[in-house]
Amino acid sequence: MNSSADLVARACQGEQEAFRLIFERYSRPIISFIYDLVGDRELAEDLTQETFVRAHRGLKALREEAKLSTWLFGIAKNVARESLRSRTRQQQRVELDDRTVLDLSDRGPAPVDQLLDRELNGVIRRSLAALDDDKRVVFTLKIFHQCSYEEIAEITGFSIPKLKTDLHRARIEMRRRIGPYVRV
Amino acid sequence: MKCNECLNLIEQYIDGEAPERDAEQVSAHLITCGDCAQEFEMLTAEQEIYACYDRELEIPQSMWGAIAARTAVEYGAIEARSRSGARQWLAGLFALPRIGFAFSGAMAVLVVAVAVGVIYLRNHQEPNAPFIAGTNNVNPSPPPTKVPEQTNPPTEQTSKPLISQSPIQGKTLKVNQPARKKSVAGDQGGVLFTDAAYRDIEDRDTASHLEQAQNLLLSIRNIKSDDDEEIDVTYEKSESRRLLNENIVLRRDAEMAGKFPAKSVLGSLEPFLIDIANLPDKAPAPDVRQIKERVQKTEIVAELRGY
Repeated sequence: MNSSADLVARACQGEQEAFRLIFERYSRPIISFIYDLVGDRELAEDLTQETFVRAHRGLKALREEAKLSTWLFGIAKNVARESLRSRTRQQQRVELDDRTVLDLSDRGPAPVDQLLDRELNGVIRRSLAALDDDKRVVFTLKIFHQCSYEEIAEITGFSIPKLKTDLHRARIEMRRRIGPYVRV
Repeated sequence: MKCNECLNLIEQYIDGEAPERDAEQVSAHLITCGDCAQEFEMLTAEQEIYACYDRELEIPQSMWGAIAARTAVEYGAIEARSRSGARQWLAGLFALPRIGFAFSGAMAVLVVAVAVGVIYLRNHQEPNAPFIAGTNNVNPSPPPTKVPEQTNPPTEQTSKPLISQSPIQGKTLKVNQPARKKSVAGDQGGVLFTDAAYRDIEDRDTASHLEQAQNLLLSIRNIKSDDDEEIDVTYEKSESRRLLNENIVLRRDAEMAGKFPAKSVLGSLEPFLIDIANLPDKAPAPDVRQIKERVQKTEIVAELRGY
């Protein structure tokens, strides 16, 4: 009854409740995804709102065979990308020059047991911020949202070989930064 | 399987994306190769860390309210547009050219212009053509003061009315004018009131359209095109196509309604939308650069903002 296709069809007919269910189902993954891309909580909230407004506007254009989540991630990616583009280069430089990120690789093996979750979360967040846009999108979709390569290709418009390369490089960069926290 | 082959496939294997045959070979290799098994364990440990990543995000309760409000406004605007579309369709059934509010508005303006013209002509023609003024005596309220004047000698009759009828004529006009004004204003008021409401929706649509177009052009202007690599403009392209369709409709409407500033700005915008809409998904950097340069040179963004 409440399958994605059913909800989309009902929302297309102007049923607000159906669209609210779509929002409830997908708002969390979408806000997480956007947050991973922009690294700012308030901005992520605003962009999530914008994503769903645009989704509502374009619901009728959603192809039947397209997966709703893939489609929503695609919109979210575009919304986040527009926002990232409007940021000044200076801000990005500050982010990349963040000493915490650069210093991580020089640290000795950290005692994982003593690490606070918050610290590790902060490390992952900053490491993600240090990736370039393409790698960050691909890495986030694969690692945090378990999207298939095909879905990622559909969301990003990248070819499968490109996204595999980006994913591999992103893993290497992330490993360099979170390596000290990994216990094998 | 050799180690380098295994390492090439190991990420796909972890991601569950390796073809079945490759996956079996990787699996077999990992049992026998310590180095590759270590790499596999490292990747698995990293996955576990990522799985614990907590962004501590909450969906604010107000978010749905804001979305619902925004979508309701847009839905209302679309409904209003479709309603006016239905009206236009009905008008079309009667084979009259575009009997919409804009047309009615134009007609009202025409009626007022004709009325003003007639009054003007009457005021200015009377002194030169007394016989025309005489025909006006069949007006509903012929002035009783004319009776004694008719006793005047015929030689004076041609000149007297020129002097004496003018004030009377002026008076009848003064009496008639408010009545006429009132009726015109009454018609006009009805038409213009609904017309204004319709125009308000149209203006809002145009403003919203220009704002979106402005964002699109800014997005294009901010694309990094220094390298000669292909640039992914899928989003900009689809957005541009959507805006182009809107632009054509709004420009025509603006033209029909005589809104020439709006028509002009929409007309300036259109070539940019066409160019962006015709880019390939992976656009060559020089093509994008060319559009960017035109956006900067023509200051179209400033023009849109100014409107």
